[in-house]
Amino acid sequence: MATTTRTIRRVKTPANYESIAWKWMRYSAFLLIPLVWGHLILQDVVVGVHNMDLGYVADRWANIGWRVYDGLLLAFAFAHGVNGLRQVLNDFIHKPTGRLILNWGLFFFWLVITVVGFVALIGGVNQQFPLQ
Amino acid sequence: MSALKTTLTGYAGYRGREGHWSFLLHRITGLGTGLFLTIHIIDIAFVYLAPELFLDALKLYQSTLFGIGEVGLVFCVFFHGVNGLRIAFVDMFKPAAWSISTQRNWTRVTLLITLVLWVPAAFIMLRNLLFHNFGLFGG
Repeated sequence: MATTTRTIRRVKTPANYESIAWKWMRYSAFLLIPLVWGHLILQDVVVGVHNMDLGYVADRWANIGWRVYDGLLLAFAFAHGVNGLRQVLNDFIHKPTGRLILNWGLFFFWLVITVVGFVALIGGVNQQFPLQ
Repeated sequence: MSALKTTLTGYAGYRGREGHWSFLLHRITGLGTGLFLTIHIIDIAFVYLAPELFLDALKLYQSTLFGIGEVGLVFCVFFHGVNGLRIAFVDMFKPAAWSISTQRNWTRVTLLITLVLWVPAAFIMLRNLLFHNFGLFGG
């Protein structure tokens, strides 16, 4: 009687830039499940956008724990998003020159937005303005 | 331009049923979330850089149009997360489940879990929107 056995072939691939980026997509995804879902449920569902003002942000950022939380969100979510966008655009851009421009363009896009985000996160609520 | 046409024709013309739909939905929800995230980082940066602009952005988020978009955004984030967990789980713990018939079922379960998470959230958010913007439920 002939039997067939299913085997899963495990393949070892040498680490290169793309494989490391792929792994980090997955690791960041696991972190983002609690971080983003928690943020979403708290801010959009429990608190709600109608109950927010500068004072709300000031109270929230008075707690260093929430600033660290937001920093983790910024670091992991935006990198995950830009790398995802890069993978989508790789489907449309096939020429090496185009991909080179894409990679550097998205790198600077990621860098600028991330720096702007961290400047605000570290700077906090601008106290020159009365809290409303 | 031909790479664009080839890829888009492939996206639209492939007949992969559940696998095809979840691929497209994963991309659309990811791109949608990424678009909002970019805007959101900038509007939060206004808190420090230009608080009067932050208050304008907040008014925009409290509008009915953005409220409906927010409900859509929550769907995007939940679907992208649940579907990502399905893919990672099968890859890492159950690679034998990578078969078309199994994944057709799992994809339906993915959508079901997404709806279980999204429907109550959408209900509360829409109720808030009707309360604040239309004066319903005593608002």
